[in-house]
Amino acid sequence: MTDDLKKPPAAAQTIEPVIRLDSTSRWFGNLVAVSDISFSVDPGITGLLGPNGAGKSTVLQMIAGFLRPSSGSVLVRGRSSWRNDKLYRYTGLVPEREAVYPFLTGYQFVLLNARLHKLPNAAEATARAVRTVGLEDAQHRATGGYSKGMKQRVKLAAALVHDPLLLLLDEPFNGVDPAQRLHMMGVLRELAAEGRTILFSSHILEEVERLADNVLVIVSGRLAASGDFRRIRRLMTDRPHTFVIRSSDNRRLAAALIEAPSVKGVELIDGGLSVRASDFGAFALAVPPVARDAGVTLYEFVPADQSLESVFSYLVNR
Amino acid sequence: MNREIFALSLRQLLGRRRTFALIALALLPLLVALVFRMGDTDTDPVDWTANGLLAGLIVYVLLPLVTLVLSTTSLGMEIEDGTIVYLLSKPLSRAQVIIAKLVASWLPAGALVSLSAASSAAIALPESEPSLILAFAIAGCLGALAYSAVFLLLSLLTSRALVFGLVYVFIWEGLVTGIFSGTRALSIREYTLGVADLLTAARQFDARLDGVTALVLMVVVTIAFVALAIRRLNRFETRSLF
Repeated sequence: MTDDLKKPPAAAQTIEPVIRLDSTSRWFGNLVAVSDISFSVDPGITGLLGPNGAGKSTVLQMIAGFLRPSSGSVLVRGRSSWRNDKLYRYTGLVPEREAVYPFLTGYQFVLLNARLHKLPNAAEATARAVRTVGLEDAQHRATGGYSKGMKQRVKLAAALVHDPLLLLLDEPFNGVDPAQRLHMMGVLRELAAEGRTILFSSHILEEVERLADNVLVIVSGRLAASGDFRRIRRLMTDRPHTFVIRSSDNRRLAAALIEAPSVKGVELIDGGLSVRASDFGAFALAVPPVARDAGVTLYEFVPADQSLESVFSYLVNR
Repeated sequence: MNREIFALSLRQLLGRRRTFALIALALLPLLVALVFRMGDTDTDPVDWTANGLLAGLIVYVLLPLVTLVLSTTSLGMEIEDGTIVYLLSKPLSRAQVIIAKLVASWLPAGALVSLSAASSAAIALPESEPSLILAFAIAGCLGALAYSAVFLLLSLLTSRALVFGLVYVFIWEGLVTGIFSGTRALSIREYTLGVADLLTAARQFDARLDGVTALVLMVVVTIAFVALAIRRLNRFETRSLF
C-alpha cells in the first residue's frame, strides 16, 4: 500500500469528492432499485437514511464495486468503483449480513482480513483493530458463538484492520445493544475526526441524527433529500401533520379550531376529529387554549402520520 | 494461489460431518472389494476389479459425488451466506480466489478417490496389478480436477448447482452418453476412463474413448472451465451480497 493511499488526506486537499454518483440508476429486470440519483460524499460521517427496501444497500453495493450501475456513474476518488480491485486498498466494508466464518475466532477472522490485505505486520494491525472495537475479551472465542452485537463489532474490526480512508457500513447498528451502539458511534466519530469518509445506512432516524453530519434520504430508489441533517430534520418537522382528536364535543371543537391560523382543515370522523395542521409546534400550543375557551374537554390527541414512511413520502412528494 | 483462501476453504469444506460422510462414502468400495474377495466366484478378479469396482463404482459413482459435494460447496456456500464479500473486498485478483477454491476442493476429492481406488483394488486383486491400480488412482485424481472445475463454475451460475450437477452426472453421463456415442466427448467420466485405459497395461479394461483424445479433452475442459469461472467471478453481481 502506498503512503498516499494509507494516509487520510486533509479535507482542504480533497478537490474531488471521495464518492460521486452521477445520474445513477440500477434496475433488476423490471424492478427499479435506484432511480437517477446524484450526490457526492466528502470526508466526515454521512448517513444514508431510508425505509427498508428503499435502495440503500443497492447504493452501497454500487459504491463498493459489487454492482454495476445500469446507467450513470459511480466514482470513488475519481475512479469507477465497478471492477476496481485497487478500491479495496483504502476501503473498508461492513455488510449488513451477519455471517462470518463461524469456526474462526474473532482474532483469526480479523487476522485473515489483514493477511488478505497483505499487511506487512498483520498481527499488530489485528491487535489494534480488535482493541479499537473493544473486543479484546472475546477475541479468542469462535465467532459462531458471538451475539449479533459482537458480530457487528468484529466485522467493524475486520473493516478497519487496513486503516481505510473510506468506510462503508450497511445498517451497522442492527441488533447492537445501547452500550455497544454508543461505543461503536464513538469509534466512528473518532475515525471521522481523523479525516476519513464514513458512509452508513440506517432506517432509524435517531441513529442518523446522533451520528451523521450530513444525510442522504433515499425513498423508493430516489434521492428525497440531502445535505445538513438539521435542515432535513426541520423539513420533516415543518411538514403538514394530521392529528386525530377526541373530545367531549367534537363539533364545537371543530368550529373553534378552524379559526386557528395553524389549522389547514378539519373533518369530523367516527367519534372524533381529523385535523390537518401546517405547523406542528404552533398547532400543539394552540389546541389546549382553544379547547378550554370553547368549554370542551380533550380526551385524546394523537398524531396520525408519524411513521417514518409517511415522513419519507412527504419528502419525496413535496 | 492465495494460501489464506486455500487454508480457509479447506477448513470450511472439511467440517466434521461432511468429512465423516465423505470418508464413509470412500470406504464403500473397500467393503465391496472385501465381500468380493471373500466370496467364492469364478469371475476373473482383474476383469471384475477393472470394470466393476474401479470403473463402475469408483469412476461412475464415488468420483462425481465426492467432487460434486466439495466443489459446489467451496464457493456456493460463501455466496449463499454472504461471506464471499470478505474475499471479494480485498485487493486480490479474482483468479486467485478461483484457483485457491479449486485446489481446496480438488485436493481432498482427488486424495479420497485415489486412495479409495488404490486400496479397494489392492483388496480385490489376489495378485498385485500395479499398473491397473496406479492408472485408476492417477485417472481418478485428474478426473476430480476436471469435475471440480466444472462444478465450481456451476456454483457461480446457479444456487442449485448440486441439483444440476446430479443431472449432469446421472442423466447426461449415465444415460445420454450410453445412447448417443457422439456425446461421450462431453463426458468427464469418459475422459477419466480413457486416461485410465491409456495408463494401464491390463488388457481386461477397454475404455470407449481413445486415451490420448481423452487426456487432451480433459485438459482443455479443465482449463476452459477455470477460465470461465474466473471470467464469471470478475463480473459477479448479486443483490444480496450485503
